[in-house]
Amino acid sequence: MARQHHYRRRTKDPAELDMTTFLNLMVVLVPFLLITAVFSRITIVELNLPSSAAGAAPSEPALRFEVIVREQGLEITNGTSMIAKLPKVEGEYDLLALSELVQALKHDHPDEQDASVLLEPEIEYDHLIRVMDAVRSAELTQPGDEGITRVALFTDISIGDAP
Amino acid sequence: MSRNRLKPVRMNLTSLMDVFTILVFFLLVNSANTEVLETPKQITLPDSVVEEKPRETVVVFVSPDQVTVQGETVAFVRDILASNDPEIGAIGDKLSELSDKVIGLKTQAVTQSREVTILADRSVPFSVVKRVMSTCTGRGYERISLAVLQKASQAPQSAQS
Repeated sequence: MARQHHYRRRTKDPAELDMTTFLNLMVVLVPFLLITAVFSRITIVELNLPSSAAGAAPSEPALRFEVIVREQGLEITNGTSMIAKLPKVEGEYDLLALSELVQALKHDHPDEQDASVLLEPEIEYDHLIRVMDAVRSAELTQPGDEGITRVALFTDISIGDAP
Repeated sequence: MSRNRLKPVRMNLTSLMDVFTILVFFLLVNSANTEVLETPKQITLPDSVVEEKPRETVVVFVSPDQVTVQGETVAFVRDILASNDPEIGAIGDKLSELSDKVIGLKTQAVTQSREVTILADRSVPFSVVKRVMSTCTGRGYERISLAVLQKASQAPQSAQS
């Protein structure tokens, strides 16, 4: 009697899978993969270094923009004469002004690809990368367009010692 | 009443299973494309907007206190700062040793590329980085890449716009 009742109730229920083992597997796998997952992606900046074997460059380009990073601020020269001097703003390099200047220079010399970043020995490596970023490309917002477009500026960057 | 209490409470796990299944597949695919360079824990790389992928190269770590070539500590930053040599002998010796005595297929591929990837901490002074680089070029590794963490946009620029 009791058995019959039990049987009848079972048939009414929808068929059910025992998912406990599968659930266990998932519960273990998810934290494991979350821990091993890499969310910060490493990329590389390729340098255009003068090779020691080649010696002096065969022909110096007529124009060579140089950004000199000093303790006090940034200086921009075209190889011979100084174009601009950007002192530090609130202890930070004025990368915004640098970016605008470099964009103006690129506008005047659209074919030029080379630039140099020259640093004083005590400058931190982080500043080198940031200045290189500012010289390499700029992000512009187009009027009427919501997205930001990245414009390549001087892409062949050499680095060296500040004179 | 009492029978109701004895009956095991059945949870509806279907939605949870859906989420887990999707998560597991996403993470599996994510971990499948393994990174060439492992994110170092002890140093903070600078941020940059470049999008170039790292390749299999000789890896030089420059942490605030020591320099490591292919996972082997070869020099200390304070010694480099103390000396005035334009090249760092210990690093150069290690690099030459790598290209002379090739052990293992991975090392072979790495040294044949004649490339160096430098992972340096943000706070390392430029003079140290420069000397590491000139050592690398001096020993025949002429293509140098600097490893950085990718960031979405140039911060000062986006703040302006």
